[in-house]
Amino acid sequence: MIPSGLAALTGLGVGYLMLLFACATAVDRGWLPRSLVRHPATHILALGVYASAWAIHGSLELAQRSGFGYLAYYLGVAGTFLLAPVLLIPIQRLSRTYQLASLADLFTFRFRSRWVGTLVTIVSLLAVLPLLALQVQTIGTSIYRLSGIGSADWYALGFSALIALFAMLFGARHNHLNARHDGLLAAIAFESLVKLAAMLALGAIALFGIFDGPADLQAWLNGPGQQAQQLSEPLDASQWRTLLLLFFAAALLMPHMFHITFAETLSRRTLLRAGWGLPLYLLLIALPIPLILWGAQRQGIDVGANNVAYLAFDLSYSWWADALAFLAGLAAASGTLIILSLALSGMLINHLVLVARSPLDRPNLYHWLRWLQRGLIAGVIAAGWLFYRLVGIEHDLSSLGLAAFVGMAQCLPGLLALLYWPGANRTGMVSGLCTGLLIWLLGLGLPLVGVDQPLTLLMPDGLTSYPPWYLTALTSLIANGLALILVSLTTPTSTGERAAAEACSVDAVVRPMRLPLMAANADEMTHQLSHALGESVAQREIERAQQALGQSPSEARPYALRRLRDRIQANLSGLMGPAIAQDIVDRWLPYRQMSQPATEDIHFVERRLEGRRTRLTGLPRELDDLRRHHRQTLLRLPTGLCVFGSDGELLMWNDALAKFSGIAASTVVGAHRNSLPTPWSALFQRLLSEPSGKLYKQPAQISGDTRFLGLRRSSPHPLESNGSTVILVEDQSEMKWLEDELVHSARLASIGQLAAGVAHEIGNPVTGISSLAQNLRYDTDNPELLETAHQIQELTTRISTIVSSLVGFAHGGRQAINADMVPVSIARVTDQALHLIQLTRSGEDICFVNRCLPQLQVIGDEQRLQQVMVNLLSNARDASPPGDTITIDAHIECDTAHGSNSNLLRISVTDNGEGIDPAIRDHLFEPFTTTKAPGSGTGLGLPLVHSIISEHNGQIDIESPPTGQAQGTRIVLRLPAHQEPPPIDEPL
Amino acid sequence: MYVYRIMLLLVFCGYLFSPLLMSGWGNSDMAWYRPFAIWAVLIALTGWLSWKRRQDNLRQRRGHHEPSQ
Repeated sequence: MIPSGLAALTGLGVGYLMLLFACATAVDRGWLPRSLVRHPATHILALGVYASAWAIHGSLELAQRSGFGYLAYYLGVAGTFLLAPVLLIPIQRLSRTYQLASLADLFTFRFRSRWVGTLVTIVSLLAVLPLLALQVQTIGTSIYRLSGIGSADWYALGFSALIALFAMLFGARHNHLNARHDGLLAAIAFESLVKLAAMLALGAIALFGIFDGPADLQAWLNGPGQQAQQLSEPLDASQWRTLLLLFFAAALLMPHMFHITFAETLSRRTLLRAGWGLPLYLLLIALPIPLILWGAQRQGIDVGANNVAYLAFDLSYSWWADALAFLAGLAAASGTLIILSLALSGMLINHLVLVARSPLDRPNLYHWLRWLQRGLIAGVIAAGWLFYRLVGIEHDLSSLGLAAFVGMAQCLPGLLALLYWPGANRTGMVSGLCTGLLIWLLGLGLPLVGVDQPLTLLMPDGLTSYPPWYLTALTSLIANGLALILVSLTTPTSTGERAAAEACSVDAVVRPMRLPLMAANADEMTHQLSHALGESVAQREIERAQQALGQSPSEARPYALRRLRDRIQANLSGLMGPAIAQDIVDRWLPYRQMSQPATEDIHFVERRLEGRRTRLTGLPRELDDLRRHHRQTLLRLPTGLCVFGSDGELLMWNDALAKFSGIAASTVVGAHRNSLPTPWSALFQRLLSEPSGKLYKQPAQISGDTRFLGLRRSSPHPLESNGSTVILVEDQSEMKWLEDELVHSARLASIGQLAAGVAHEIGNPVTGISSLAQNLRYDTDNPELLETAHQIQELTTRISTIVSSLVGFAHGGRQAINADMVPVSIARVTDQALHLIQLTRSGEDICFVNRCLPQLQVIGDEQRLQQVMVNLLSNARDASPPGDTITIDAHIECDTAHGSNSNLLRISVTDNGEGIDPAIRDHLFEPFTTTKAPGSGTGLGLPLVHSIISEHNGQIDIESPPTGQAQGTRIVLRLPAHQEPPPIDEPL
Repeated sequence: MYVYRIMLLLVFCGYLFSPLLMSGWGNSDMAWYRPFAIWAVLIALTGWLSWKRRQDNLRQRRGHHEPSQ
């Protein structure tokens, strides 16, 4: 007995609930680290909500009656979680994908009927009322027993009100019914810790306080305690298995378990860890039960009386032992009440209130839903208290609990069919559920309210000796399952149900179709949705879905819009249930009717496969590897490749094309062909209208440059085929430029030939003029005439030199490797090149300084070396500012690099221009690389120079800026120097 | 997938033979904690299978780390 009675108990209870408030507040306000709140251990502890007041008080009752039979309550749920990978994970996948927050949502989605959801909600409410009453009863009775005064039911009412307040504050604060409640989850985990710690402490009191440890306990059980154990009647095997099945189903079907397991978005990994974590928790909390019972028996407490459920209060005379027992019961009952009321309120809103009255004309939908849920939470807890006050007060905990678990088990055949039998239909499911519900009402429901066992009256005499819960569970589940199977086999199944069955089935092969939406972009979707939800809610839902998908507001790709539609439907399902969500999107975001049959959404299928590939094993894994291999092959093709579906949707955009076009695949895959960026849309359109299926050298502006593209498509004509169209895109720009340069070079060559002919024709008259000037010099002594004749001769000599250089240059382009290699004076070659350079009008104010000594010679072809110098000097002139000086130097170097004794002639051409950009310096000898303005240079000069120098076994280097200069460029040529043979000494 | 089959087999066998637990209550030939010890062994086995499956998944992921478009 607690010393100061009621006041102390009230203080303890209220203090504990205040602690819960503080815990939830600390989490919601971020005072506790997120890593702790979201830790898998927190989630697993929250699943401990299963251990309700039954686990603390009801189990004692069952242990006293049936011995280890009480373990069924724990082992059944442990079995469900051991099978998490095959049982819980598929349901989690469904609930997460389609935002299904309750069992009713799941059934509505699968059987495509809002009435199925309503029926499941009614069944849940009816079945769960005894469990709610059980929780309320334990709280009231505990306070009454400990205080010894007052009325248990009014105590129960007071604490129920406090718990309702907590649930309303922390369970209904989000806009979406199935939003994650971190604060609430943490509070429930805290409650699990409290009840576990309290139970372990009570077990320890029994084991070490009443007994002297495990050995003493065993000795007592083998001796004096054996007589007390003979009073319990172990369950027979069939009853035990039925009980196991009931608790196995409870883990899946009980609204509070479904809510924590599936609606609170535990990660898949956490759920798999709960596969052993929750059984471990249940083992620890189940262990003290027999210890408490045996301890009470050892102390001689009358365990046969009705108060066996509250034996923990009689274990010790210490007030703190009573406080521990009270806290354990309060934590268990309050957690169950909170989550049950939260889960049931969501089901009632989605499947009763919203079905009866449309919420769509509400001005503030979120606000209205939030307050509706708060009202329903209070209503559910009040209903639990009323049921306890009117009905439950007459019954023990086992009767109430078993009635609840048998009632909820009526949804088990439907759930198994949902997961494993696509052939089940809504008529079969409703028939089975109604049959099971009827038998449950007759066998357990009506007897609870005082009607005298109508089911037993219908049973053969041989069966009446079995307990009612066993008879009811067995007959209702068999009848339920049979009705579901027989009716499903004999009645038709709608197309929608078949599609949903495939989505729900564990081994489903879901093939999403590629259908275009009527809405062309997110704005139009918002506009359409606003008819149903109002402007602000529609805008908010679209933004929420776009954020979740990582889409931009301007997104208009059909693929992205389909995903947006799916997401909106899932979100609305979380807000208003799957039935209403389906109605809204079907009506306001419809698909466009197509004349052609819809094709599969390959991109979506692939993304889904990528997301789940770690779960594939065996042959599917091999096939997926093969698929990835082929996909990677296409993606890494060195040529551009894209694939369009028959509806014009882009299915693939490979890496080469992405790099070349500068458009990432993620931004265009799923877009329609006509909405691709310029110039791709027009190009593809032109290609598809081209009968030959080929386009060559199509000009296109890409990243600011003009490129020439070659395109080819796979099928002869895409309109004749339902398959995809594969398009190859090739960059033909270099080939086009090469062709243009070849044409230009041919034109230049013909001009060169013409120039050679003209030069030849000019040569004759110039020779005549020169001869006449010579004659004039012989025929006169007049100094003025002599000077004139001399100047005429000089000018004709210059004309001859220029013509000779021109002819030589023209011929030089055609010469090749087999040309005569003779000693060539670099000074002379440079002079000739300068003559040619100075013929042009540009660069007249540039000063050329030829510092080459005439005796410096190289072995080479004079004409081709002249070409080299012309190119180098032209480049230097073009790069130099007016009035600048270009210097040509030459000197002998020793060829140390090759280890020979030969000498090289180092020739350099130095200017003081702006220099060469380092980015293109390494590419200067590649064709078509130029630093000059467009149209001024061909980009062929330096490659020609490089080619000629290579033919002469020489080297060419670029220094920009030259060593010792701030700017400018120096081109350095190294050619084998001609060495005069040493004079041969005549033999004496 | 083999791990899942083992778990299914484990749970099914547990369901079939679990009535044997009943006989332990008040039986002087059996230690009172035996059902809990069996339960603890099952939990340990499940934990080990879960760990093994995670390792298999990690190995598979490492074997195929090339991203797809």
